Amino acid sequence: MHKKNKSITIFLFLLPALVLFIGILIWPIFASVHHSLYQYPTFSDPGEFVGFQNYIDLFNKQYDFGKAVVNALILAALSVFIQLPLSLGLALMLGKGIKGERFYLSVYFTPVLISAVVIGMLWEKIYNPIYGLVVKGAEALNIIDKLPPEGLLGNPKTALLAVFIPTIWQYVGYHMLLMYAGIKGVSSELREAAMLDGATDGQVNRYIIIPIIKPIIKVSIIFAITGSLKSYDLIKVFAKDAYNCSYKVPSLLLVRYAFHNAGGIASAIAVIMIVMCFAFAILINWLFKERDLYGKK
Amino acid sequence: MKKRLVSVLLAAAMVLSLVACGNAAAPAASTDTAPAADTTTETTEAAPAADTATEEVAEAPSDEPITLTMWCIATEGDSNRHAYEAAIADMAEKYPNVTLEWEAIENEAYKTKISAAMASGEGLPDIFFTWSCAFLGDFVNQGRVYCLDDVLAKYSSELPESMLGNTTYDGKHYGVPTTMNIVALFANMDLLAQAGWDKVPENYDELIQCCDDLVAAGIIPFGCAGGETWCVTEYLEPIIEKTIGADALNDIFLGRATYNNPDVAKAVDTFQEMIDKGYFDPAGASLPNDDVKANFIAGRTAFYQNGTWNCADFANNADFLPKVKVTEFPVIDSSKSKLGQLIGGPSDTLAVTASSPNAEFAAEYAAELGKLICHYGYLDGCGLPAWIPYGDTSSINPLTQSVAEICANADSYVLFGDTAQSAVDKDPYLDAVAKVYGKELDGQGFIEELAGAIR
Repeated sequence: MHKKNKSITIFLFLLPALVLFIGILIWPIFASVHHSLYQYPTFSDPGEFVGFQNYIDLFNKQYDFGKAVVNALILAALSVFIQLPLSLGLALMLGKGIKGERFYLSVYFTPVLISAVVIGMLWEKIYNPIYGLVVKGAEALNIIDKLPPEGLLGNPKTALLAVFIPTIWQYVGYHMLLMYAGIKGVSSELREAAMLDGATDGQVNRYIIIPIIKPIIKVSIIFAITGSLKSYDLIKVFAKDAYNCSYKVPSLLLVRYAFHNAGGIASAIAVIMIVMCFAFAILINWLFKERDLYGKK
Repeated sequence: MKKRLVSVLLAAAMVLSLVACGNAAAPAASTDTAPAADTTTETTEAAPAADTATEEVAEAPSDEPITLTMWCIATEGDSNRHAYEAAIADMAEKYPNVTLEWEAIENEAYKTKISAAMASGEGLPDIFFTWSCAFLGDFVNQGRVYCLDDVLAKYSSELPESMLGNTTYDGKHYGVPTTMNIVALFANMDLLAQAGWDKVPENYDELIQCCDDLVAAGIIPFGCAGGETWCVTEYLEPIIEKTIGADALNDIFLGRATYNNPDVAKAVDTFQEMIDKGYFDPAGASLPNDDVKANFIAGRTAFYQNGTWNCADFANNADFLPKVKVTEFPVIDSSKSKLGQLIGGPSDTLAVTASSPNAEFAAEYAAELGKLICHYGYLDGCGLPAWIPYGDTSSINPLTQSVAEICANADSYVLFGDTAQSAVDKDPYLDAVAKVYGKELDGQGFIEELAGAIR
């Protein structure tokens, strides 16, 4: 009887969080799946049941969703292979305890604190084809003919990279801070012992620090990839009305179709994004798990 | 092993949660992207002075304090800002018991915000700015808009029925038109003079010759904001209209004919030939309209084709006004089109939400406010009046007077493509227009894509 009461008490204490978790997080996912099977011309009108037609339509020429997915994957790859190594490098450098550590930490973290809209407008000015920093720099270096006359954002060949540079730059400080916190948690005795044995800085980082902060690196990779797949705000500033921009990403299309009488298409995009994020999270965990097992051997 | 399984599941649940949050938060995120400076909220309190309480004040339903809310696009940088402020001040004087809380949102962000609010029916203002035809029509179909038949009947002598056509659905009136505008070609005569032209080109051959002369003189003929696709339509639609004729274009926009028309393809190819010849400023490809307009004023481009609401801004610039002239885009195929076939018409409109707790009074208020915005907007040069003008209009700037002359000789109007077509059709249309400007689609590709996408 006493045990039963205890179970009820635990359940009652968990209930509010459970209701919130299901109501705010789980239910919208199921609702998105349901909506994706209908036309949904307005929020209140489900319209005609179309089955999986929305998913098929997404990949035709009109919606061009395939291109958006490829762009998101390119952004995810750039985040993992450029953003995170940069963050790790900075974190290792600052974690060693250099002079002015706090100052540099604040400087690198500042872009994270600035609104994405402000960063977008700032970089838009940098890329401006008439008076931007890039154009003026190229003029000074006599390489102006190497730049497209439309500007980096106006040329489809350069626009993708031009948009992704600030997107990646903004969150270098965020991942750096996560890794820096992990590095600071590593016992200084381990580092000193290795140094006494003649290990160089590089060897200490490679064989001691990085293996210890591997769980944080894993979290950073998950954040970087899922963040890239869901990226919206900064890209929206560059894309303006988002028609036919060469750097369209899934979220941009999702918002556009959600408010342009195509709720079913928008929901199908949401479901695909959920599946992609889920798949990547499982993949990353699996990759890190394999290494743990190997390490144990 | 179990621990790992749990950690994987937790990580997956967390990722799912993040995505679900992102999805649910989408409406808010979209409005956040509007530059902060472009969104303003104003509260116009009623003037407390007792001497303002004239006989007309008695028209208010009662002396009970009433608060009305309004959304519009008259941001600080908008040409219509002064007209809204002046009209609202007059209304505050006339209705001391009414407090109008009005919010101005940047154009593109506004389209998203009002569409989202209408779709959900939540958080709607009492009065809202809208574009006529299909844009307002979508909201009327959703049952969100209050019918203004009774109110507008009182103004039949001041507001001609011909100005209500674009806001009439199933014979019922749903909007108060303010000003009407057309697409016009603005020319910087100083730059034209440098290329040996002392007049604006009067036909298409002259326009092409003028552009060639400008390019030879190192002057860029046109500026067009590729960052905002509606600005590209301001070039493409007149070119299509002056190639296939107003009736044919109207039939396409209103769904009576398909885009599968070889003459439309020809017009699109004409537009792209102009781009290929270097007539368009390449820097405009990624720029917003404000920058392109500023470039025109600064003398970077010789022509700027856009809405006639720009007359106000050009007229307010004392240095620039003497240099600028306005005309209509010349006829390309005289067997199908003629001068006087214009893109535009009454589009800027105020409407009232059906769910407003004060809908009846809000309708009265919107009608009077619309009339005043029209009056001040006309005086400022923001467009031609949808209402019959009153008072002293002798101070109207020469550009707006030229536009009035163009409209006086108008043969027919085709409303802007992104307003005339429904939200569903507008989307692939603007997508295709952007692809045309980005040279991803040629004329044939344009008509094939739209004939497939718009049924």
